[in-house]
Amino acid sequence: CSISMNIHEIRDGFGTIKKVIQARDPIRTASILHPHSLHNFQILDSCCLARSILRFYLDKVFRHCETGSLYINRKISGIANSFLSIEKKFRVCQDENMCNCGEEAINKYHQIIRNYEQMDVTLAAMKALGELDILLNWLEAY
Amino acid sequence: GVLLPAPRNITILSTNMKHFLVWSPVMVPGAAVKYSVEFQGEYERDYANDSWIPIGECTGISVTQCDITEDISATVPYDLRVRAGVGTQASHWATLSSFFNRVTTSLIPPMLTVTADGYHLLVELERLGPAFEFWIYYWKKGQGHKVYRKVVKDSSTTLHMDTMEAGTEYCVKAQTYVEAINRSSNFSQVQCVRAEAGKAILVT
Repeated sequence: CSISMNIHEIRDGFGTIKKVIQARDPIRTASILHPHSLHNFQILDSCCLARSILRFYLDKVFRHCETGSLYINRKISGIANSFLSIEKKFRVCQDENMCNCGEEAINKYHQIIRNYEQMDVTLAAMKALGELDILLNWLEAY
Repeated sequence: GVLLPAPRNITILSTNMKHFLVWSPVMVPGAAVKYSVEFQGEYERDYANDSWIPIGECTGISVTQCDITEDISATVPYDLRVRAGVGTQASHWATLSSFFNRVTTSLIPPMLTVTADGYHLLVELERLGPAFEFWIYYWKKGQGHKVYRKVVKDSSTTLHMDTMEAGTEYCVKAQTYVEAINRSSNFSQVQCVRAEAGKAILVT
């Protein structure tokens, strides 16, 4: 399942708001994506994990990231719509049975959800958005 | 009182990944009509309760156009709306007749300047922004079957394409490619230049 993702455009958009978003994350001792957990994860069903994480951001993260800043909201919208554009491509792979979920991908995804659900929704969403670099680096290597 | 009419003829003009929303002015004798623009991507429709996002630079403006390039930053269908306002009175929102996807932008063949500097084949390109790659093709005139290609992302400097054979004519053409929408422009006009003739070397 090879997909063009245009990650640098998302990175550019995120780069303009990253400092502000990460400054709103008071919980320094916890992580949702965990920088190491994704990077030693390059096995066959990374497609499934990628799609699951994209849907996690679409379903749970972006909607809780509204800020009082119009500029930041516009940039978050750009990122969210780019994620949706990529997720739709993964969906095609899944429909053609090229994006199956193995046990490790499922376990990894559930770990991310557990990390997320241990925190207050808004704080968790802002933290997950602040960790976008981790995800983008991993997707870029996909 | 009579409600302010909504703007009409809302259209998007999109060329080389620059997108502008334009509309017809609302005429109210003796009043200064202001306009405000909002956008909505597929994400907002499907995941964020059909919400709309104001474009700050196009809130309370007098002109009848808005640069929406920054906000159309994904390859998904977008909707846009604009309304008129006079004082505290505002018209209904008027929206696009159909969604806009940046994949439909018009890609114009790039402008380039080809020069021969002695034996060096040089090309200068226009700047189009980070979304663009330039695919440059060159060949010896009359040898169109043997074409060389260079892919260039940074068009800010003069490009040295090749060292030419003395006195030989070389031809160049180029097209742009935009990865975000996976499309190319048509080719530019072909331009040919001749390398400096070889110098006779006097052997004594």
